[in-house]
Amino acid sequence: MLKVRENRRELSSRIEIARMAVGGSFAVLAIAYWYVQIVQGGHYFDLSENNRIRSVKLTAPRGYVLDRKGSVLVENEPAYSLQLYRRESKSLESSVEFAVRLLGLPEDQVRARVARGRRYPEFVPIPIAENLTLEEVAEVEARAPEHPEFAVSISQRRLYKRGGSAAHVLGYLAEATPDQIRASANEYRMGDWMGQKGIESSYEKLLSGTNGEKRVIVDSHAREIAEESRIESRPGQNLFLTLDRDLQEIAEESFADKVGSAVALDPKTGQILALVSSPSYDPNWFTRRVTSEEWSGLLNDENKPLQNRAIQNMYSPGSVFKIFLAYGALALNEVDPNARVFCPGYATFYGRTFHCHRKGGHGWVDLRNAIKLSCDVYFYNLGRRLGVDRISEIAHAFGFGEPTGLDLAHEKAGLVPSEEWARTKRGARWYPSETISLAIGQGPLLMTPLQVARAVSALIEGGRLPTPHLFLASQDPKTGVRLRYDSPPKKSLAIDPTRLSIVKNGMWAVVNEPGGTAFGSRVPGIEAGGKTGTVQVVGRESVVRAGADRHLLEDHAWFTAFAPIDDPKIVVVVFVEHGGHGSAAAAPIARRLLARYFGIPLPPAPGEPGFQRASSRPATAPPARKAVSP
Amino acid sequence: MMRRVFPIPRRLDLIVLGCGISLAVLGILFVSSTTEGGRFSGLATRQTIWVLVGLGAMFAAVLFDYRVLLKFSFVIYCVTLIPLVYLLFFGQRIANVKSWIRVGSFQFQPAELTKVATALLLAYLFESSDETRMKLATVAKVGTIVMIPFLLVFLQPDAGLAATFLPLLGMALFFGGLPARAWIALVLAIALLAGIGWFVLADYQKARIGTFLNPEADVLGSGYQVRQSKIAVGSGGFAGKGFRSGTQSQLRFLPVQHTDFILAVIAEEWGFLGVCLVLALFAGLLLRAMSLARVARDRGGVFLILAICSMLFFSVVVNASMMIGLLPTTGIPLPLVSYGGSSVATSFLGIGLILAVEYRRFANA
Repeated sequence: MLKVRENRRELSSRIEIARMAVGGSFAVLAIAYWYVQIVQGGHYFDLSENNRIRSVKLTAPRGYVLDRKGSVLVENEPAYSLQLYRRESKSLESSVEFAVRLLGLPEDQVRARVARGRRYPEFVPIPIAENLTLEEVAEVEARAPEHPEFAVSISQRRLYKRGGSAAHVLGYLAEATPDQIRASANEYRMGDWMGQKGIESSYEKLLSGTNGEKRVIVDSHAREIAEESRIESRPGQNLFLTLDRDLQEIAEESFADKVGSAVALDPKTGQILALVSSPSYDPNWFTRRVTSEEWSGLLNDENKPLQNRAIQNMYSPGSVFKIFLAYGALALNEVDPNARVFCPGYATFYGRTFHCHRKGGHGWVDLRNAIKLSCDVYFYNLGRRLGVDRISEIAHAFGFGEPTGLDLAHEKAGLVPSEEWARTKRGARWYPSETISLAIGQGPLLMTPLQVARAVSALIEGGRLPTPHLFLASQDPKTGVRLRYDSPPKKSLAIDPTRLSIVKNGMWAVVNEPGGTAFGSRVPGIEAGGKTGTVQVVGRESVVRAGADRHLLEDHAWFTAFAPIDDPKIVVVVFVEHGGHGSAAAAPIARRLLARYFGIPLPPAPGEPGFQRASSRPATAPPARKAVSP
Repeated sequence: MMRRVFPIPRRLDLIVLGCGISLAVLGILFVSSTTEGGRFSGLATRQTIWVLVGLGAMFAAVLFDYRVLLKFSFVIYCVTLIPLVYLLFFGQRIANVKSWIRVGSFQFQPAELTKVATALLLAYLFESSDETRMKLATVAKVGTIVMIPFLLVFLQPDAGLAATFLPLLGMALFFGGLPARAWIALVLAIALLAGIGWFVLADYQKARIGTFLNPEADVLGSGYQVRQSKIAVGSGGFAGKGFRSGTQSQLRFLPVQHTDFILAVIAEEWGFLGVCLVLALFAGLLLRAMSLARVARDRGGVFLILAICSMLFFSVVVNASMMIGLLPTTGIPLPLVSYGGSSVATSFLGIGLILAVEYRRFANA
């Protein structure tokens, strides 16, 4: 007990010593801080005032976009932009004045930018203008002594090498809007570029990489005297698209000034080989300075060049729909392919007369020939047998009425009618006579050209519905690591191969047998199948009444083709607005695509000099069908 | 009966408690000053949550009999070593070191808890050995107890965090009564080893050791942090530039201003007065706690308080010296004030143990 007390006393004295040491240490610290803050305070205050640190963005090079064979579609080129470090400005007024005079920009635009830049720390520059000319760059540098607050930064500008080619697939780059900046949780800053449409937008994350930043100290003449820190940028991934540049350009060339769209894809994988929407626009145009007149000019163009017609415009399929109906009826065992129907050129259902497109009639036709000749009467009968809901079921099985899942935004779903749809959505009940016209692809049935291409793929592949896509692979420019796309096709209506061959044979006959609706579009050496479609724009009566621009009253033309017949490698869908008959307007474009795809030199096409008509069919536009209305 | 189990709260030491809470509130205030509206916004809320967690742990520690903790201190010590061993092999690197355990969006540094456990075990050791002059066996035990967690953390590699175990060693040797001759021998031996090392090692080896000890040193360029922090502190002057008005801190020149460099922010925005306030609060806490140690009921309690004080003292002095370039930057946060959940929570746990010793001074057990 005594010993413990002894120890305790010694321990107590040690604690006293320690307390003094602790108190002494704090006193020493306080003196040290007093020295730094009071004695040297003025010196450090000046230093903090002159701490001219600038944050300089190290822009990550955006990934290139290449086609499936590695040909570059989109790359970058250097561009100069003007930055303002507002902390170094003697007076913001004179800075704004300088920028306005130098660049000839509207004053309120410059002011608005300066105002928006206040959200960021002072050493982060405010982007004032992009794409300076070399003269403007020289001027900024010459005036550095008076205006050290301005800096010219070399950034990278997106270059769409082929101008308007594949513009709707590629999309474009533009400055991120305030809404987009907010949505990105400040990942993007004012003046940052962002993919706005097309794959530039879909794969923004992949393409953009990560920007770096360096912090530098500059002297009063804006010269960099030291680098304080640096975070390197990580370049964006290079993106390989499924597109085939040759095919894409042939398709665009074939459209010339026609309005419409075309899709070519691999029916097994869903890889898109070409996707055209005509007219197009030049995406380069968005990376330069755009005036509001130019912008509204593009928006108000009545041909809507910004719209991607292949996925955003919905049309009636017309006779193209017959092949899906034929397939569906066979798969559901609703039709005997050998049973023949007599076509006198018209048929009467529910007290109404429905015409066939061939006035004189086709005589006795079976399923194969009904496809070959596109006999309306045969399909009127088939449609009546199936009924609207069966037809609707078949259409859904081919993916109509839902987006295809393409890796581009804003894809339309289309419309597939049914009795329930008529009752709940349309508010007027479904009339049986509507089913008759539905059977030949008329009425409230709407689809995009891409949906048709996907459905044709499913048809010729016996019911495997692929997901169309543009992403082939991406490649990290540093590591070379590649990413690939993988999406198995969905199961659709399965069919017995012998029955499938009846439909395919009918489509073969369309192109290859005299009397087929697209007999003139045969490409020698390729066993292709196809189907035409013609969609009436307005009834004949309104044509007479409208009178004005006859072109706008022309029918829309569809053509779809696939080849080779036994093991299809490519499906093509072409749609020409106001093109007239499918075989005349759309089929030649598809024909050129197939010829290019298989590398076959093409003999002159219809309309070109030297063309010999092989078909006995009259070349005049088919008589307009009577508009079917409930 | 109830009174004996839960002695009346009159014995809660309000000076220690008040200083601790004031420091934590200052911390939340300045974490919000530097992080609101930026990339880190929301950290002040997190810090508040951690302070509340820490206060909970503190009151739990007060109510729980620390003598029971001392009795089981060896088990506690071993249990807290397990995550350190785990981290060494399976830890994910965060900021280049494997010292964090992640639970959801919260991260925790288990080494912080190990510090408290080590303090408990040392206190338990001195509870039973009361020799006036420390025996070699005791020195060896103390060394082993401290060096095991030190090495585990050092290998993560987090030299700064590992260094915070060293004051425990100094505390134990000083208060345990290491003879004067032994002290002289110890100092000479360390100086000799360092000297020999300096001559034997080649320059590139020294540089390598330097990078190993402080991997971030070169990322931002040598001396950047210290220079910027000195400018921040110095430019604050006597009364500071005003809350949230520090150009250095608000402009984010300081790289980790809400964690390790928070004192520089206080110094810039509240000036010398702010620094004095912080130093006074720490001095008040430590001096009061040490005087509580003098009157503690048992040796275990004395050493428990001293151990916790030694760690707090070390961190404060090293951190405050770092700000003005008196010591190289090592990544030691300012206890209770710097942003960092595990540090704040375990600091409060430590304060809870100090209060617990005082709380049971007259209790019969």
